[in-house]
Amino acid sequence: MMTFIPPRLRKPAWTALAGLLFAGAWLVHGGHLWWVSIMAVIATAASVARVYRLGGQDTDEGARAGSRADERQQLVSVRSRALACNLAAVASFIGLTAAIAVRAAWGWPFLVILLITGFGYLLGLGNYGVAEEGTPDEADTGRQARPPVS
Amino acid sequence: MRNEIREQRRQRGLSQAELAAALGVSRQTVISIESGRYLPSLPLAFTIARFFGLTVDKMFDPDEEEAGT
Repeated sequence: MMTFIPPRLRKPAWTALAGLLFAGAWLVHGGHLWWVSIMAVIATAASVARVYRLGGQDTDEGARAGSRADERQQLVSVRSRALACNLAAVASFIGLTAAIAVRAAWGWPFLVILLITGFGYLLGLGNYGVAEEGTPDEADTGRQARPPVS
Repeated sequence: MRNEIREQRRQRGLSQAELAAALGVSRQTVISIESGRYLPSLPLAFTIARFFGLTVDKMFDPDEEEAGT
């Protein structure tokens, strides 16, 4: 679907979609806080403009915002996301442990995040690791692995 | 790992931006490769070597550390 959208508009489009969903949630929520949805739309419009402007800059950030990142910029992005996920998992573990210790009922969101990050890790291993090992060559079947030549 | 990219680029009178455009990467990535902060993937290493008409092992020397890194 995203291939139909010009690269520079992809990140702004995702930002707009996420922001409008958030605004829609506040609108459905209703009550006396309905005005938060208006604020969310304004904040979303500002974010979309910022991401679009950033996408035109000749920087690493600009390349990522403009969906034209090369291999190094993609690697930096993947490493940053991995770090963010690690931090989320550690923070969730600490939160869950603290909730258990004080017998609090607010521990379940931490458990959910921990389970999701764990599942995501296993999914990643399945997609990018184990599934790509391939089958051994016929000549290698039954042989013991040899250490690499030094 | 030391590489010959900066020397080869200067010999041909190319700017980092012009080389980046020819290789299909960003100017920042050319800067990172030249300074030895980033090791390119094998396909990109071949692209660089072919662009300068050299072999990969002439372009990249694993036995030498980049100066200043």
